[in-house]
Amino acid sequence: MHQQPLVRLTEVTRTYPLGRVQVRALTGVSLDVARGDFLALAGPSGSGKTTLLNLIGCIDKPDGGRVIIDGVDVTNVPLHRLAATRRDTLGFIFQTFNLIPVLTAYENVEYPLLLQHLPARQRRDRVQYWLDQVGLSAQARQRPDQLSGGQRQRVAIARAMAGEPKLVLADEPTANLDSVTAARILDLVEGLNASTGCTFIFATHDPALMARARSCVRMHDGALITEPHLEARAS
Amino acid sequence: MLTKLALRNVFRNRRRSAITLLVIVFGAVGLILFGGYKAITFRALRESTIRSRLGHLQIYKLGFEKAESKKPLEYGLEDVAQLRGAIQTDKRVRMTTAQITLMGLISNGDKSETFMATGVEPIGDRGMNGQRLTAGTDLPEHEADAIIIGRGLAASMHAKPGDYLTLMSTTTSGSLNAIDVRVAGIFMSGVKEYDDRAIKMPLAGAQQLLQTNKVERLIVMLNDTDDTAAVRADLTTLFAQKHWALEMKDWSQLASFYHQVVLLYNGIFGFIGMVVFGIVIFSVANTIVMSIFERTREIGTMMAIGTTRSSVWRLFLLEGLFIGLLGGIAGLLAGTGLSSVINHIHLMLPPPPGYTQGYPLRVMLQPGILITAFLIAVITATLSSILPALKASRLKIVDALGHI
Repeated sequence: MHQQPLVRLTEVTRTYPLGRVQVRALTGVSLDVARGDFLALAGPSGSGKTTLLNLIGCIDKPDGGRVIIDGVDVTNVPLHRLAATRRDTLGFIFQTFNLIPVLTAYENVEYPLLLQHLPARQRRDRVQYWLDQVGLSAQARQRPDQLSGGQRQRVAIARAMAGEPKLVLADEPTANLDSVTAARILDLVEGLNASTGCTFIFATHDPALMARARSCVRMHDGALITEPHLEARAS
Repeated sequence: MLTKLALRNVFRNRRRSAITLLVIVFGAVGLILFGGYKAITFRALRESTIRSRLGHLQIYKLGFEKAESKKPLEYGLEDVAQLRGAIQTDKRVRMTTAQITLMGLISNGDKSETFMATGVEPIGDRGMNGQRLTAGTDLPEHEADAIIIGRGLAASMHAKPGDYLTLMSTTTSGSLNAIDVRVAGIFMSGVKEYDDRAIKMPLAGAQQLLQTNKVERLIVMLNDTDDTAAVRADLTTLFAQKHWALEMKDWSQLASFYHQVVLLYNGIFGFIGMVVFGIVIFSVANTIVMSIFERTREIGTMMAIGTTRSSVWRLFLLEGLFIGLLGGIAGLLAGTGLSSVINHIHLMLPPPPGYTQGYPLRVMLQPGILITAFLIAVITATLSSILPALKASRLKIVDALGHI
């Protein structure tokens, strides 16, 4: 049976004002992302990768076209009404880690679970499990400024995974890391993709990440230049 | 979690939070000290007004207030003993004393001055004595022609204790009368204008000068000022039952100066309160705005991972509340401590206008003042974070995440 894609973008356009000039960040992008995919959005800076990721992540709105996430058309839903979708369906990993500085590693991972109103016991088990998965159980009580870049990104991965999302969006997740640490992070997310079946979409221009991606979509000037062969990849 | 986050964020930029807290503490201390000073001033002024001049209640013959008597004591009380006997059965009443006020000329043989005299019962007057003797003795009990004289008037008359002066006034029948009096003592009340004209003389002497047996008023002193309204109500009932044609005023109706001071001080207190309110508003709002500016990306992250607008709003509101609570508590401690210090070092203030004596600076800590100062700190800090918090909750996530 043909499975519905987790993400379906249809003729999506997005234009930003830059001073008096309108910059067309996306020019009619259509893309299906299958469930369980490990997809890299590749392309140079300014090609529209982050904009596309923002639209999929329900933190930005398209000017035209449709955005469907997990079967729900979110195109016309105001962003503030999509907080629950972001909380329950999506996970985010940022280039600059974006941990909450006043919270410990444990509390950062726990934060999305508190938003989900998970019972305390379940929350504790889940946080410990994910800190263990990313190899940071020993650093649970440390704050972000006491952790290395790689450790911070692993906390961010644990935070993104703790809420058991269907889709994790990562914007240049290895850009601020050295190559050894970046490789370890990639090992980790690749393993998580395989073990949990969670879908991952990366915006990247890191060749190492592109090489590991199960599928790769190239972007240039706000358009896809390589059509993804989702069905083939899914098989 | 929001509470934990808010508390930790308050201590995140310690220097900035410390400055904001200091502003709130200064404001709260200012309110506590001025409020405490105001309270003690009101109480001292009230009690000194009652005990030195007015008494808690004054009883007159019915019509006294409205009538503009053509002759002295036209509306005087005739049977004071019976009235006094009825009043003094009440245990809340400390004492009663009769008075006459009169004006006239005082002369030492060489020069004359106008005087304002109060005819008093010497024993009763000592019980509500507001003046301080600077020379001689107080009014003797059984000497109708002794007087004590204000310091300014004594100087003008070149009088000293033991000297004889002549008092001249209009009698109740409208004729002129004069008596010779002995200066028993010289007093000062603290009000120069009063001391330049004032005389106190025994009631019997005043009645002799006015050629009457009447008194102008009966002053009732209570043990506790708080009983004034209740005693007044009971006396009104008593007078009605006995069909006595009397009228009564309480101290509050007579103490116009007290009420002017209360109005003035309340106005100043209100003004200081507004200034504190304004300073705290701007200081806390500035802190929250700076905090939002620095944490824009963090707010974007929180909203991206599912935090709702209302949670972001509540987070910053809580930060304002915590700043207010911490500032309020620190302000209470500092205000209480400083009040104790001020009360212990006996700082003297210069004499107020019209007075010749300074008075000690004292601060009375009342629960009402402490609660008001604390609430102003907390409410102001919380209110001032509303708009910045709203601004934070309305941030566009994409813009916030891209904020550097």
